[in-house]
Amino acid sequence: MFKIKAGSSRRGRRAFSGVVALSLLTGVLVSCSSSSGGAGGTLTFLTNAESWTHADPNRNYTGQHIAWFGSFMHRTLTAYARAEGAAGSEVVPDLATDTGRSSNGNKTWEFTLRDGVKFEDGSDITCEDVKYGVSRTFATDVITDGPTYAISMLDIPSAADGSSVYKGPYATDGNDTAAYDKAVTCSEDNKTITFNLKRAVGDFNYTVTYLSFSPVPKAKDTGDQYDLAPVSSGPYKIEKYKAKDEMVLVRNESWSKDSDPIRNAYPDKIVVRFGVAEEVRDQLILNDSEPAAFSLDAVLPTNLATVFNEDGTPKEEWKSRALNVYDPYVTYTAVNVGKVPCVQIRKALYYARDFAALLQLVGGPAFGGDPADGVIKPLMGLDYKPVTGLEDFKPEGNPEKAKALMEEAKTTCPDIYARATGEGFTFDTSDTDTNKKGATIWIDSLKKNAGINLKFNFIEPGQYYAVVFDTTKQGDMSRAGWAPDWANASTVIPELFLDEGGFPLSRVGKDPAYAEFKSRAQANLAEPDRAKQGAEWAALNQYVMDQMWVIPGVFSKTQEIWGSKLEGVFFWEPQGAPSFGDIKVKS
Amino acid sequence: MINYLARRIAISIAILFAVSFAVYLIFAILPFDPAALTCGKSCNDPGIIEANRKRLGYDLPIWTQYLVFLKGLFLGRTFGEGAATIFCPAPSFGYSFQEHACVTNAILEALPVTLSLAIGALALWLILGVGLGIVAARYRGRAADTGSTIFVLIGTSLPTFLTGLLLLVFVVVKWRILPYPSGNYTPLFENPLEWLNTMILPWITLALAYAALYTRFVRNAVIETLSEDFIRTARAKGLSEKVVLRKHTLRAALAPLTTMAGLDFAGLLGGAILTEAVFNLPGLGRLSLGAVVDFDLPIIVATTILAATIVIFMNLLVDVLYAFIDPRVRVAA
Repeated sequence: MFKIKAGSSRRGRRAFSGVVALSLLTGVLVSCSSSSGGAGGTLTFLTNAESWTHADPNRNYTGQHIAWFGSFMHRTLTAYARAEGAAGSEVVPDLATDTGRSSNGNKTWEFTLRDGVKFEDGSDITCEDVKYGVSRTFATDVITDGPTYAISMLDIPSAADGSSVYKGPYATDGNDTAAYDKAVTCSEDNKTITFNLKRAVGDFNYTVTYLSFSPVPKAKDTGDQYDLAPVSSGPYKIEKYKAKDEMVLVRNESWSKDSDPIRNAYPDKIVVRFGVAEEVRDQLILNDSEPAAFSLDAVLPTNLATVFNEDGTPKEEWKSRALNVYDPYVTYTAVNVGKVPCVQIRKALYYARDFAALLQLVGGPAFGGDPADGVIKPLMGLDYKPVTGLEDFKPEGNPEKAKALMEEAKTTCPDIYARATGEGFTFDTSDTDTNKKGATIWIDSLKKNAGINLKFNFIEPGQYYAVVFDTTKQGDMSRAGWAPDWANASTVIPELFLDEGGFPLSRVGKDPAYAEFKSRAQANLAEPDRAKQGAEWAALNQYVMDQMWVIPGVFSKTQEIWGSKLEGVFFWEPQGAPSFGDIKVKS
Repeated sequence: MINYLARRIAISIAILFAVSFAVYLIFAILPFDPAALTCGKSCNDPGIIEANRKRLGYDLPIWTQYLVFLKGLFLGRTFGEGAATIFCPAPSFGYSFQEHACVTNAILEALPVTLSLAIGALALWLILGVGLGIVAARYRGRAADTGSTIFVLIGTSLPTFLTGLLLLVFVVVKWRILPYPSGNYTPLFENPLEWLNTMILPWITLALAYAALYTRFVRNAVIETLSEDFIRTARAKGLSEKVVLRKHTLRAALAPLTTMAGLDFAGLLGGAILTEAVFNLPGLGRLSLGAVVDFDLPIIVATTILAATIVIFMNLLVDVLYAFIDPRVRVAA
C-alpha cells in the first residue's frame, strides 16, 4: 500500500483481526440507513489523482485501490467479508470454494475454483489463469509497484544476484520456468491450484486476498499496457478508461451473482472522474452539486470545519454523509540504529520531542489521530497490547526525562552523545510544507529539551524512499508510515525490523538486541496458534519500544465525504477504505 | 533570405541535439537511481533493482543510452520481450511506463489540448489587451485610462491558479452558470459546444493575466508613438485623428507586439502548467509536470525538445513576420 501520510508514506495494506471494532473507537461509523435505493443509477467518484496508480490487478497495492477494484472488477481466491467492524476481517472464499487447505506444516496450500466463474468475454476462469496471473509478479521490470509476496514465499530458488531464477512470463533468455511450474501446480481438471512455499506460512489464505493472486487470461495479457485494459472477472467491466479524464464501468454480463456470494452490484454504471482540483472536488460535494458522487480523497483541512464538529464527530446534517475514522497507518520516525547505537539517546529523542505541536500540524487529535505507543495499532486486536515503560511521555515534551537520559548517555555512549550535541543528527523527510513546519518543531524542541542538534534532509517526495532505502544515503532518522498488509502483525514486525523485511529503515541488524529479536520473530512467523502468535507480536512490539528502534508518531485518522443520493457507506476495516461495493444510489 | 533561413534551421537542429543531450546529462548526475524507481516507490529488494537495471539498459554508459535514444528517433525502438513487447515507431522518443504509452503518442495526444488552450487564450488576450491599451492611450488621464490601470493591477496581481480556481468554484459549482465538463477535454470536431464549455474558463483565466500585461504595453507604446515627429507631420497634413491613430500610430506601435505575442504563445505551447492543472486539461503542461514528479525521463526529454523546438520556430517566424510588418526591417535586410 502506498499512501502519503503527513509527508511520510508506506506500502502495505492493513487489516484488523478485530477484537476492538472500529466503531467503538470512533463512535462515528455511519450505519447503512434503511435502504430506499436498490440496483441502478450512476455512481460517480471524484479524485484529484490523474489516474489510478494501477488498474492491473498484479500492480494494485493500496488498500483503497484493492477495495475499489476488488469490489467492482477483480476477483481473488479468497477475500474479506463485506461487513462492518471486526466481522469484515473474516476471510471468506471468493473464486475458491473454501478458504484454502494447508498441509506439509503450512508449506503447501491448495485452493479449488468454483464452478461457473468467468471472465468478461465469457470464457471460464481456470487454474492456469490464476497460475499465469501470479507468474506476472515475477516480471519485476514490467509489473512494477505490486506486492511481491509471491516472489518471497513461493519455493523458487534465487540467483547469485539475489533475484529469483524465474523472471516471469515475458522473459525469453535464462528463465527457469520449470522452477515456477514446480512451485505452482494445477490439477488435471484445471480447477485446483497448489502453492508450494519455501517456508511455513500459516496465514497464506490472507496473502491470496491480494489482487496479485487474481486470474489473468494469458491471451489478453499485454504487459505494461494491461494496466489500461485489464480483463474483468467481477461484476463490472471497463467501457472507457483514460488517464487525466475518466473511467467508466458498465455491467459485466458474464458475471453471475450465483458464483459470487461476496459482491453486490448495485449501480448500473460507475464513473471515476480524475484530476478534479481539490477545492472543486470538495465543493462539488459540500454544495451537493453532484449528489451521487463520492470523494476518493481525504477532505481538505480547510473544509473540515464545514462538516465536522471540533471533537471530530460529523455535524448533524452530515451524519449520513461523512466519516472520520482511524485509517490503517501508524506514522513513526525510524532511528537508524546502525548510526545511533545508543538506546538512551534514542529514548531522549522520544521524550524531548514536542508531540502536541507536531500533532496540531496534521489536524490535532480530532482529525490527525492519537499518540502511537508502537508500530501495531489497537485495531489489530489480538496483536496489540498497550506498551509499558512510556509513562513519562508528555505530549509537549518531557525535558527532565530527556535530560536525565542524555546525562546517562554521556557515560554509556560518549561518542554518540558528542555527535548528538555537536554536529547533530541528520533527519530525512520528504519535502512538503507540513514537514518543513514539523522540522522547526523538532529542531526547537530537541535543542531545548535535550540539547540535541538536528539537521534536516528534505527529499523530493517522489524520490523519498529511493533515497532512504539506499544505506549510503540514509541519515540518522527517517520519517515513515506503515500499515499491515493483512490482519496479522506478521506483516508489521518482521517487515519493519528483520534484515530481510521489506521496510527495515531502522537498520537494527547490528544492535546487540537484534539476535534475540530475530529468533523470536522468525519462530513466531511459523506459529500455527493464532492467539499465541498475536501475544508474541504484542511482546515483540514492546521489545521494539524498549529498544526505541522507532519513535512512534500517530495512530492516524482519515476523513471521507459523499453526496446526498448515496447510502450504504461503511468503513471496510481490513482494506482501510470505504466499502465501495456496498454503495447504493438512491432512486 | 533562403541562405539566412537555411543557416537558422541548421543552427536550430544543433541546438536541439545539445538540449536533448544536456537533459540526459542532468539526469545522469542527479543523485537518484532510475532502476530503483522502476522497482516501485518503496522497493527495497536489491535483486529486483539490479535485474531491472540490466533489463532496462540503465547499466549502460550514459553515452550509449543517448545513442540508443538517437537511433530510436530515426528507426523506432522495441521495448520489452515476449507478450510484453511494445514497438514505438519512428520518431520514437521512448516508452513511458508512467503513461503506458509510446512518448510520441502521449505528446500527440496532449498537443491538441494545449493548442486549443493557447490559440483561444491568445485571441482573447490580444483583443482585450490591445483594445484596452489603445483606449487607455487615446483617453489618457481620463476614466477609461484609470479603469484600464485597475484592470492591469488586478490582472497582474492574481496568479492564474487562483483566477482559475475562483472561476471554477463560482461559475461552475456555486452559481452553476456552466455545467461541470462531462469529460475533461472534448476535441473541437467531436463536440464543438462541449469543447467551448471546456475551454472558455481556461481561456479567460490565461487571457486575464496576459491581457493585463498587453494593455500596459500597448498603452505605453501608443502614447510614445503619438509623440513622434512623423505623427505631428501626419496631423499637420490635416489627416483625421482616426486615420492618424489607425494608419500611422498603430502600425509603428504594435510591431514589437509581434515578438512579444510570438514568444508568449511559444511559452504557452510548451505547457500552461498551472492552468492545465486547475482545469484538469490533459495538455503538454500536465504531461511535463507529471513527468518531472515521477522522474519519467523519456517524457521529460521529449517535452523539453518539443518546447525548445517551438521557441526556436516561433523566433524564426517572428523574425520573418517582422520583415513584412515593419518596412524599416526589410530595408535593413
